[in-house]
Amino acid sequence: MIAATVIELRDIGVTAGSTPILRGVDLSVGGGEIVGLFGANGAGKTTLLRVIATLLRPADGRGTVLGADLFGDERYEVRHRIGMIGHIPGLYPELTLGENLRFAARVAGIPSDQVEESLQAVGLLGAIDRQAGASSHGMQRRAEFARELMIERDLLLLDEPHAALDQDAVELVNGLVGKIAANGGAAILVSHDRDRVTAVADRSVELVDGSLR
Amino acid sequence: MPSEIPNRSWPWVAIGVSVAVALTLAMISPADAVQGDLVRIMYVHVPAAWLAYLAFAVTLVCSAGYLFTKNLRWDRLAASSAAIGVYFTGLAIALGMIWARPTWGVWWTWDARLTLTAIMFFVYVGYLALRRTTADPRTRAGRAAVLGIVGAVQIPLVHFSVVWWRTLHQPASILRPDGPAIQDPIMRWALLAGVIAFSVIYTSLMVKRVELHRLNDAIHLAERGEARPVAGASVAAPNLDEGARDV
Amino acid sequence: MWVTIPFGAMALLLIPLAIGTDAVLLERIGPGLYWVIVMLFGVLVSVGRASVETGAQRDASSLLGLDPAAGYVGRSISAAGLLIVFELVVGAVAVVLYGFDLIGIPWLAATLIIVAAGLGLLGSLAASLVGSGSAGSALVPLLVAPLSIPLLLGATQAYEGLRLGDSILPWMLLMAAVVLVAAIAGVLTARPLQES
Repeated sequence: MIAATVIELRDIGVTAGSTPILRGVDLSVGGGEIVGLFGANGAGKTTLLRVIATLLRPADGRGTVLGADLFGDERYEVRHRIGMIGHIPGLYPELTLGENLRFAARVAGIPSDQVEESLQAVGLLGAIDRQAGASSHGMQRRAEFARELMIERDLLLLDEPHAALDQDAVELVNGLVGKIAANGGAAILVSHDRDRVTAVADRSVELVDGSLR
Repeated sequence: MPSEIPNRSWPWVAIGVSVAVALTLAMISPADAVQGDLVRIMYVHVPAAWLAYLAFAVTLVCSAGYLFTKNLRWDRLAASSAAIGVYFTGLAIALGMIWARPTWGVWWTWDARLTLTAIMFFVYVGYLALRRTTADPRTRAGRAAVLGIVGAVQIPLVHFSVVWWRTLHQPASILRPDGPAIQDPIMRWALLAGVIAFSVIYTSLMVKRVELHRLNDAIHLAERGEARPVAGASVAAPNLDEGARDV
Repeated sequence: MWVTIPFGAMALLLIPLAIGTDAVLLERIGPGLYWVIVMLFGVLVSVGRASVETGAQRDASSLLGLDPAAGYVGRSISAAGLLIVFELVVGAVAVVLYGFDLIGIPWLAATLIIVAAGLGLLGSLAASLVGSGSAGSALVPLLVAPLSIPLLLGATQAYEGLRLGDSILPWMLLMAAVVLVAAIAGVLTARPLQES
């Protein structure tokens, strides 16, 4: 059951040592919304994504994601409903693509026969026994998308979703994002590729100097 | 925010008085029948060791305090006490070695208490090293607090293991790590005065160090609030397509 | 592992070169030296295990719903498994080079397991405290070494006890206590430590 407001951030601040990365960030994302997030390199986009994913606890402000307080223990309860694909692959390089997905299915409590299905959908079934570390960046990203296809998420956070992907894969990503939005969830797409993102996003925000405009 | 550490005078007066009293008593107390004047090192060595253990106990309590309340004040207390504890431990060990050389003919002996003290020294050196590698105050406080508690909780186990180990390997009877039995009342007073003097020094150092940490954190907080120097491209006006551009 | 095992074996080889090859002396100190090598080098094994997971991988596991405490236990178990292999291989080298007897094999096996568990848990906990970054990785052995002294003393005294025919139960219980304390501490602090 997804509430009307998926993300609610008020005055969020994050620092690293004495350097401010995010400052006074306000963001409100409702169910069904797809939001594009732009900004220059080093503006703090990845940090903001990690805060929304409940993986990084902010220093200031308050907020909820999927109804869970960012500062409370409930945030552990909603993590399995949040999917994130960063620009660094989160696969284990020694395992094959299939093993990586089977591990994910196991931890998420999903039947492992969905692994082949998802890899098929992203066109990687032939590479199921290929070591993740020996696969190209694009293949690893597609495998991560397969993982997100497999697991039902209510919030999807994508960092450079269209990078290193051909047109088919791009449409696959857009389809995945659209499906989540259609189910009442939300998605945030971080990108430098404004054209592709604005084509699928409902609205866009810009991160400048640690704050959202 | 004060622009300098306030230079109150009471710590100096208290230190001066207590040290003067302790030194006097140490000097007028009788020499030991066996050790002669060497026994006077004890009046500094023993208080230093006791205060070191007290300092680490304070670190344990304040680490727990931080984890429960998430108030950085507890972290400053824990860190200050640990640093002072390391200094006192080093001092106690060094003085013990200086005393041991002419008395027993060796710089070091593997008696249980000495060995445990040396181990604790390294545990808290590690604590300080851990603090140094973490920049963000909150992260640092959390990690240091965990180590402060885990380190302290393991100490009883370390203590037991070392004591049992030493009981199996009895040191030669000529070595009496407990030191001389203290019969003379002036000696007892001298020892007590030493403990009081060191306690005063510990308290004064704590006050100064906690204040220093507080000012450091205040500077850190102020830097966070300042406008960050602007860097090139991030200033450019956003060039978005038509389509809503709102927060 | 392919680096740490040869390194540990190398250390065992260097010691007699430095202190002399008096066989009686070496047989006497062999077991103690073996356990010191396990303590110091074994930590490198458990740190490698604990830090091989990158930030992105840990994020991905967290978002699958993996509880940080479960992650900690899993890393500790994998570190302990690697440590047992390390102990066995380096132990074989020690027995060959130093010529001491293997007495009370079941108790020795139990000792190997308990020490591996303790070092795995302490190493994973220390690695979580230190976080990532090369500046920190030399810090982990420094943090673990003093806290693992009960393991060192327990293991060496247990072997001595077996040699002399004494009861070694107190030492085994002491080591088990260390494992218990480390496990509890690691599990309780797994969530708070994962924050940044």
